[in-house]
Amino acid sequence: MANQASRHPKPQNSRHPKPETQAASARAGEATVSPATPGAARKPVTGGALAANELTKDYGDRPALAPLTLLIPEGQRVAVVGHNGSGKTTFIRMASGLLDPSGGTVHIMGHPSGTSEARRALAYLSDTPSFYDDLSLWEHLEYVARLHDVEDWDQLAADLLGHLGLYDRADDLPNTFSRGLRQKAAIALAFVRPFELLLVDEPFVGLDAAGKTALLELLDSAAEDGATLVVATHELSYVDKVSRLIALRDGEIVHDGPASGSNVAELVAPPG
Amino acid sequence: MKSAPSPAGVGALQDLRKARRKNRLADLDWFEAAYRVYLVAFAFGGAALWLSGFIKDDRVSAGTMADIFQHGPALLGMLAATTFAAGMRSGSRGGPLAVEEADVHHVLLSPVAHRRALLRPAFQRARSAVFTGTIVGALAGMLAGRRLPGSDASWTFTGTAFGAGLGLLFMAAAFVAHALGVPRWLASLLGAALLAWQVGAIARGFPGPFNLHGSLALWGVRQRGIDLLAPLVTLGLAAIGFMLLERTSLDALARRSGLVAQLRFAVTMQDLRTVMLLRRQLSQENTRQKPWIRLRRSGGSAVIWRRGWHSLLRFPVSRVLRMLLLAVGAGASQVTAYRGTTAMFVVSGLLLFLLGMETLEPLSQEIDQPDRLAALPHNRGDILVRHTIVPLIVLIPFALVGLATVALIERTAGAVAVGAILALPTVWLGAAGAAVSIVKDAPDLTSAAVEQTMLPPEMSGLTTIVRGLIPLIVSVIGAIGVVLVRSAHEHGTSEIGAAVRIGVFQLMLIAFVGMWVRRRDEWKRKFKNMMAEGREQTAQQRSRQSTRSL
Repeated sequence: MANQASRHPKPQNSRHPKPETQAASARAGEATVSPATPGAARKPVTGGALAANELTKDYGDRPALAPLTLLIPEGQRVAVVGHNGSGKTTFIRMASGLLDPSGGTVHIMGHPSGTSEARRALAYLSDTPSFYDDLSLWEHLEYVARLHDVEDWDQLAADLLGHLGLYDRADDLPNTFSRGLRQKAAIALAFVRPFELLLVDEPFVGLDAAGKTALLELLDSAAEDGATLVVATHELSYVDKVSRLIALRDGEIVHDGPASGSNVAELVAPPG
Repeated sequence: MKSAPSPAGVGALQDLRKARRKNRLADLDWFEAAYRVYLVAFAFGGAALWLSGFIKDDRVSAGTMADIFQHGPALLGMLAATTFAAGMRSGSRGGPLAVEEADVHHVLLSPVAHRRALLRPAFQRARSAVFTGTIVGALAGMLAGRRLPGSDASWTFTGTAFGAGLGLLFMAAAFVAHALGVPRWLASLLGAALLAWQVGAIARGFPGPFNLHGSLALWGVRQRGIDLLAPLVTLGLAAIGFMLLERTSLDALARRSGLVAQLRFAVTMQDLRTVMLLRRQLSQENTRQKPWIRLRRSGGSAVIWRRGWHSLLRFPVSRVLRMLLLAVGAGASQVTAYRGTTAMFVVSGLLLFLLGMETLEPLSQEIDQPDRLAALPHNRGDILVRHTIVPLIVLIPFALVGLATVALIERTAGAVAVGAILALPTVWLGAAGAAVSIVKDAPDLTSAAVEQTMLPPEMSGLTTIVRGLIPLIVSVIGAIGVVLVRSAHEHGTSEIGAAVRIGVFQLMLIAFVGMWVRRRDEWKRKFKNMMAEGREQTAQQRSRQSTRSL
């Protein structure tokens, strides 16, 4: 394995690539949510890193997300928490463009979600990583980086693999990896490309202690570079690292404000 | 931020696709691929020969030909109308494209234009639909050429073109309906309206929307320039569909990607039940949240009985309608078989097999939870056989629908009497075949080692095929009764008497299938023990002989 990996550049201590634009307009802890009021006239928000307007999702007759309007300014670090089925993944997937809303709109860096411009600005780290059966991890990294026009991708890829402890597995097929290694591979793929907004869904599931630390370092680094981070998680300790906490319950926002001082355990408790 | 097209991304897409193709070709087992091609060719050749056995060699009369010219375009146009409606239905439900899940996450979430990324899979999908249409059309054209005026070659060519056109029409309708975001209800409404119009064209003789498509299928003997409008419209629609690929829903692709991968795997494993389940999921046919009738929460009746009703009372309308259509189709096929087209009893049996697969949902669900089933402190066979009771009851109204269809078409007291005797056992035996198909997929509780060592690899392939066919054979045996009744009629014996004897035989066969479901594990265990003992004795004999010879 080491022989195979030696064909790739060795990892250095470089950090992940800087996003193309780094607007630092965000004010830490700023709460810009306003739950929808039926019938109220409202000017749609389209600015910021992520702007949701009256966003809803129904599965048949069951509402998964109540009308949701919120603005996440550029550079903000946000955690989305809530019990199982509270609507976190639904919200994240709609923002990424993978799920069509039943109503309302989402804008990413001012562009409608799912458009080419929005896709360029947004990186999405899914809770269920998916890989090609016939590509090695290294080939995946090359593919994703080049699809996003990253030219000097190989050193960055090597650094990421080294950081995540995957360097020796670069030539292996990620579909044969364990749950934790698959998650690490997905993290590498999310960070090998430039982004201005990172949407992350349950990133800590399956990760060992070293993996969690590595991921937290990557998230810190991205935040320092000015990227906006939105992380949906059950890992309550992560909440200490964010400036803004959004809590969902049964598809509705029950808290939106500074993370510090919030009773997180109470916020993520299931209804009833 | 850049918003211009991403040539580098497109280059990466092309490079990586080339690399993946190279990887796949490197991994390809050419011998295996050639063997598969041989099997497919063998199956098609066999099907062609079998079907040609049902076609007489004498040419049709001038009067029949005049009838064909008059009604053929509308009748064959019905095929095109059905294809178009099915295509719209597929498009409105997120079809027809399905790409790999990884493509959704890595390519379609990248800035590369969706049209660029999806053009190739769309082309491949269309190509495969056209190819399927071509094969089926060529076969039909070849068979038509045996009875209709005109050369075999011209009919084969016409059939090929007509089939290819239908394949493309399906894809074009699906692509356009998807891109335009046609809601499901509207697609169903438009499809039903077009079908009704085409039915009107058949019945009343006015021009139908797809008559030109149908007329094209008669080019083996009659060529009309105006018919060429049909392929032009199809091609135009396909071109619009391809142009609108940018509007493909990422949501639909994400939902379908995983399901299609599972579907391909299920097809490879010849797992018909899973194929049906996944097809339902692909078309978003979900179980009802609220049952049609809610049972009391704390019912005192038997638990498996209650579980069966909980399942069947949640069937959505579309599924119930499909089951009704299957029952009507089976009844109509029985009448056709009685009237002389003997092969239609096979169609009837297959439709009843599908009806059984739909109805035996509680049994399927139980088989899908092998760990839970194995953990229960009860005999597995007992539980499985009890899961068939509620579905058998639910099939009674469908048997009545089949009987009503027979009565409507045949309209004689004798036919209704025979139908009344045979309807229920025939429908139940169709379901018995489905039960065999479902239960045989249950994990083997006994070790498979003995069985595997008994069979050489050449035999195990054949055994797999035979095992796959047995359930269908059981269902088709159920449908053969009508042919035997016809035979009794031809020999001047009582049709009612024949129907009663056949009905009794069918019920005995159903009872045998029930016993097999209940005691399958026990029988398998006994058989394997017997084989193991036999091998042991043989080994001991050989050992004794070698000792004596020493």
